[in-house]
Amino acid sequence: MTPMLLWLVAFVVIPTGILLVYSFCQRDELGQIIYTFSWENYRRIFIDSDTGEFGTTYLTVFVRSVEYAGLTTVICVVMGYPVAWFIGRAPENRRNFLLMLVMIPFWTSFLVRTYAWITILSTEGLLNSFLQYTKLISEPFEMLYTPGAVIVGLVYSYLPFFILPVYGSVEKLDNSLVEAAFDLGAGPVRTFQRVILPLTRPGIMAGILLVFIPAIGMFAISELMGGNSQPTIGEVIQDQFLQARDWPFGAALGMTIVVLFAVAFSFTARQRDLT
Amino acid sequence: MKSIRLLLAFALIGLVASSLPAQAQQKKKSVLNLFCWSEYVPQEVIDGFTKETGIKVNVENYASNEQMLAKLNAGASKYDLVQPSEYTVEGLIKAGKLEELNLGNIPNFKNLDPKYTKMPHDPENKYSVPWMVGSVGIVVNTTKVKEPVKTYKEVFSGKYKKRIVILDDHREIVSWALNSIGIPANDITPENLEKAKAVLKDWLPQVKVYDSDSPKTALLNGDVDLGIVWSGEAALLYKKNKKYTYTLPEDGAHQFIDSLAIPKDAPHKESAEKFINYILQPEVSLKISKEFPYTNPNAEARKLLTKAQLDNPASYPPGEPKLDTFKDIGKASADIDKVILDLKGK
Repeated sequence: MTPMLLWLVAFVVIPTGILLVYSFCQRDELGQIIYTFSWENYRRIFIDSDTGEFGTTYLTVFVRSVEYAGLTTVICVVMGYPVAWFIGRAPENRRNFLLMLVMIPFWTSFLVRTYAWITILSTEGLLNSFLQYTKLISEPFEMLYTPGAVIVGLVYSYLPFFILPVYGSVEKLDNSLVEAAFDLGAGPVRTFQRVILPLTRPGIMAGILLVFIPAIGMFAISELMGGNSQPTIGEVIQDQFLQARDWPFGAALGMTIVVLFAVAFSFTARQRDLT
Repeated sequence: MKSIRLLLAFALIGLVASSLPAQAQQKKKSVLNLFCWSEYVPQEVIDGFTKETGIKVNVENYASNEQMLAKLNAGASKYDLVQPSEYTVEGLIKAGKLEELNLGNIPNFKNLDPKYTKMPHDPENKYSVPWMVGSVGIVVNTTKVKEPVKTYKEVFSGKYKKRIVILDDHREIVSWALNSIGIPANDITPENLEKAKAVLKDWLPQVKVYDSDSPKTALLNGDVDLGIVWSGEAALLYKKNKKYTYTLPEDGAHQFIDSLAIPKDAPHKESAEKFINYILQPEVSLKISKEFPYTNPNAEARKLLTKAQLDNPASYPPGEPKLDTFKDIGKASADIDKVILDLKGK
C-alpha cells in the first residue's frame, strides 16, 4: 500500500497540485507566475473576453479533439480485436514472436515514425507515386495535411495500446468454455456475443481507455500530419506554454479537462455498478 | 496531457538545478552550458572552440524564443549563454534577467557591421551581441506559380487556396496582416488586433500547412507551391534548386536579430564571453554562414564569402533594404494567441 501511495503522491497528487495552483495565478510580462488569486483563467475558457458573452472557441476545439479520439478508438477496436484474438489463439511458442512484431515499431522514435508517414502520404510521396505509376489514378490524391491523415497517424500510434491489453484477456480465456458453448448448440455469432465478448471485456475496456484518453491530448500528430490548421486541445494547451507566455491559462485548460474526465469516468462507473 | 508532463519536468529541472550550484562552482573554468536554437550552431564551431580554449561545451536546444523563456522562467539557472531574438532580448533586459557583458573581453566585437550593433533593443550592446540576422518573406515555386507574388495580399488573393505554407508563429502572422493594411507591426492595440482579425479571417482558411520548424519540407514535397517563411529556409531551398525565389513583401517586411546573451547568475560567465569572442572571428563566422545561410552581421566575415553565397537573394536581399524589427509586447502575446485560435478553432 505504501509504495502505491508514494507513487500516487509523486506522479499524480503533486503535479496536479502544481497545475491547480498555477491555474488560479496570474503572470507577468515575461510569463513568470505571479501568485495572486484569480478566477480569470477559468472565466476565459467559457466567456469571450472581447464580447463578454459565452464563447465557444475552446469548446469547439475540445469537441473536435473528442471526435478525433473517438473515431481513432473505434477504428482501433475494429482493427485491433481480430489481431489480438489471432495472436492470443496462436500456438504458444509463436505468440511472443507475433507480439514482438506488434511492438517493434516502438523501438524507433515516435517522431521518426510520424515523419515516415509524411514521406508516404505527401503529394509527391510514395503512395501517390505508386498509384500514378500503376495508372490507378492520374492526378495525385490530397492525403497529407487533412483530417484523414491525422486519424491515420493516431490509429497507427495507438493501435498497439489496444492490442496488448486485449491480448492479455484473450490469452487467459479458457478454451473449454468456448467448446462448451458450441456443444450446447450456440452458433459462432452467439458464442462470440455471450461467451467470448463478456470474458474479454476487461481487456477491451482497458484498451479503450489507453487509446481514447491519450489521443485527446495528443498534439504532435495533428501538428505534423494535419498541418496544424485545425488545432486540437493538446495543441492549444501547448501554445499557452510555448507561444503565449500564459502558463496559468494553460493550467486552467488542463485542469478543466481533468475535471471533465473525472466526472465522466465516475458517472460511467456508477452506471456500471447499477447494472 | 503533455503539458502536465512538461510542467513536472520543469519542476524537476528546477529542483535539480537549485541543488547543484556547489558542484557547478568547482568546474567554473572549463565548461560552457550553451542553450541555443536547433539547427543554428554548427558542430564544427563548437569543436573548434573546445580545441582552442579547452572549454567543454554542453549544448541544449530549443525551437522558439518562447520555449527558451519558459525554461528560464522555470528557474533553470545552469545556462551560461542563450540565443534570443531581439524582442526577447528586450523583454529579458526589462526583467533584469541578463548579465552585463564586458566588451573589453570581446575585442572581436569590432568585426561587426555597425548596422547591426547599437540597435533599439539593446542600444549600447550592454547585454547582447548579434549572431545572425534574417528576414521573413515570400518563397515561390516558380514552376507552379508563374506570375510574380510580391505582397502578403497577393499571397492571399484567393488564387492559391490550400497551396500555401506559413510559419506557425502567431506574432508573425498577425504582423503580416497589420502590414498589409498599413499598420506598423509593433502597434499591437486591441483596435488594431480587431482589424488584423478581419484580414486574417479571409487569409487563414487559404493556408494548408502551418510550420515554423521546417516549412521547406512541404514545399520540397510538392504539397504546397508558395509560402511565407524564414529567409534561412528560403536560402536553403534556393541552394537546392533555383526555381524557389525569395521576395521581401512590399507591404512591409521585417528582420530578426538573433543574438547571444548571458543569463543572470550564469555559472561560467567568462567561458561565455570567450565563446562570443570566438564566433566573432571572421573565419569562424564564415563556417556558420556556410551551414546556415542567414545574413551574416560580421563585416569581416562577409568579405570572405563566395560570390554564390552573396548572390543568394534570401541570404543577402538585393539593395540591402532597411527593415524593422519586433519590439517586446509582453502580455499582449496572449491576445495575439486568442486572435489566431478564434479563427483556427472554427
